[in-house]
Amino acid sequence: MRTPLTVTRIAHACQLIEIGNIRILTDPWFTQTETYYPGEPLHLAADALGPIDALVVSHEHYDHCDLDALVAAGFDLATPLIGPGTVATLARGKGFRDIRAIEAWESTTVAGLTVTATPGAHGVHEVTFVIQADGRTVFFGGDSLRVPEMDAIPQRFGPIDLAILPVNGLCIRPMNLAQVVMNAEDAAALTAVLRPTLAVPHHYAFHSGRLGDRMITKGDQDPRHYADAVARIAPDIDVRLALPGVAVTVP
Amino acid sequence: MSTPVPAGTLRPTRTRTVDVESGGPAEITLQDRDRTRPFLLLHGGGGPATMAGFADLLAERTHSRVLLPTHPGFAGTPKPDALTDVTALARAYVALLDQLDLQDVTLVGNSFGGWLAAEIALLGSPRVSGAVIIDGVGIEVEGHPPTDVTGLTPAQLKAHSFHDPSKAPVPPKADGNESGNDSGPSPDVRALIGYTGPTMSDPTLAGRLGDLHVPVLVLWGESDRIVTPAYGRAYAAAIPMATFTLLPRTGHLPQVETPEELLGALLDLGR
Ligand SMILES: [Zn+2]
Ligand SMILES: [Zn+2]
Repeated sequence: MRTPLTVTRIAHACQLIEIGNIRILTDPWFTQTETYYPGEPLHLAADALGPIDALVVSHEHYDHCDLDALVAAGFDLATPLIGPGTVATLARGKGFRDIRAIEAWESTTVAGLTVTATPGAHGVHEVTFVIQADGRTVFFGGDSLRVPEMDAIPQRFGPIDLAILPVNGLCIRPMNLAQVVMNAEDAAALTAVLRPTLAVPHHYAFHSGRLGDRMITKGDQDPRHYADAVARIAPDIDVRLALPGVAVTVP
Repeated sequence: MSTPVPAGTLRPTRTRTVDVESGGPAEITLQDRDRTRPFLLLHGGGGPATMAGFADLLAERTHSRVLLPTHPGFAGTPKPDALTDVTALARAYVALLDQLDLQDVTLVGNSFGGWLAAEIALLGSPRVSGAVIIDGVGIEVEGHPPTDVTGLTPAQLKAHSFHDPSKAPVPPKADGNESGNDSGPSPDVRALIGYTGPTMSDPTLAGRLGDLHVPVLVLWGESDRIVTPAYGRAYAAAIPMATFTLLPRTGHLPQVETPEELLGALLDLGR
C-alpha cells in the first residue's frame, strides 16, 4: 500500500501536506491587514497546527511568510525552516534555529523528507519546491510565474502525485499591471507538463479590499478558470477545487 | 406579486447617535443606509454543517451578508410545538426577516432547505426577492420517487449523495483540530420528519409552486441519486419564473461536493 498523501489548505498558499506521518506546512499566513485579505476562512489558527516536521517558505511576501504569527503562537523554533536565502535571513532574525537555505535545484533532507528548491519567478526572489517522502512527490508552486525551467521537473523527479499551483495571475497595478503570478492558462499549461495524478489550485481567494482591488492588485478569483483550462488541454488530469479545511487525499 | 409597500420603508435610512470613547466620550450623529443584498441559507437534513463551508465561500466571494440559521430541532436545538410543518417553519423565517429588517433577500436552500425556500417564497413577503433551489425535495413527481433515505446505511447514503463517493469531501469538524470523520452527512431524520411528516413530501406543493412570482434558480447535481435530475426538471417546470441548470460531476449536496462550481452557477446566471 502506498503511503497516504493528503493536502489541507489552511488558507491561501498555506497548505498542510501530510505524507504518512510527516507533516509539512507551506507558506504560512494567519493574519490580515487593511489591504491583505485571505478571502477565505482560516482553517486553523497558528496555535492549533499541531506538530510540524518542516516549514517550507517560497519567498518573503507577507501573505507567504507570516513568521511573526507563528512565533507569537509559540511555534517550535527548532522546526526545520526551508526556503531561499532571502527567507533564511528573515527567519534567522525571528529566532528560527534550524534554517536550510536552498536555491533552485538544491536539496535538503529532514528525517525521511527531501525538499528540493525548483525555479520560480515573482516580483521578488522566489523558489518553488518539490517535496518527496516515502515514494510520494509533491510540487508546490507558491505564487510563482510559470518559467520554462519548471518543465524539467518531471525528468528530474519522476512521476508527480500532487501539484499545487497558484492560478490568480495577480497583476500589480502600480507596476503597470505587471503580472507576478501564473494565471489559469499558465498553470494549466504547466499542469500538462508536470502530469500530476491530482492538481489543486490555490492563491485565488486573496483580495486587497474594495479600493485595493482597483488600485493595488488585479487577480482572478475564480478557480474554475483553471479547472476548465486543464479540462481543455489535459483532460485526463484530475483537478480538485477544495475549500480550506477540506482534506484532499491523493490516490 | 406581493403586497406593495411604500418604497424605502423596509429598510429605511436610520439616523441615530452613537456614543464612542476616544480620549473622552463623544456623541456622533450617524445616518445609516444599508443596501446590502443578504442571502438566507437553508440547510437540508444534514444540518447547518452541510452549509457552513459554502456560507463562507458565498460571503467572501460576493462580499455579501450570509445568514445561516439552524432549523429548530436540528443540531440539538429545541423545536417549539408550534412549528408543526414546513409552512409553519417558513412563517417563522419570514418573521425572522422582519425582525432583522432585511430586504432584497435571496433564499438558497438545499434538499429539504430547497422545499423550505419555496414555502418561504410562497408566503409573498416583500422582503424576499428570489430563491435558489438546489436539489430540493418536497414535490411528488410521477415515476421519479425520491430515494427513501431512512433505511440506508451510511455507505449507501454516501453513494446516493455524491457523484464520486470515494472523493466525497470530508467537511472540517467544528473544533477544527481534526480533518473530519468519515461518516459523511447523515440526515437528522427525526428532525426532518418533525416538519415533513413521514412521507417527506407534500402532494399539494407542486401545484402551489405555480403561484411563485419571484425568480427562481433551480440547480441540480447531475449525479443526484436521491432526487434525480428528471425530478429537478419537474421542480423547475412547476415554477413560472425558473431556470434549470445541471451541475456536472455533482450529486445531492453540491455545496459540499463542488462548492466552487455551485457558486459559479449561481453567480453566472443572469449575467
Ligand atoms: Zn508573493
Ligand atoms: Zn502571494
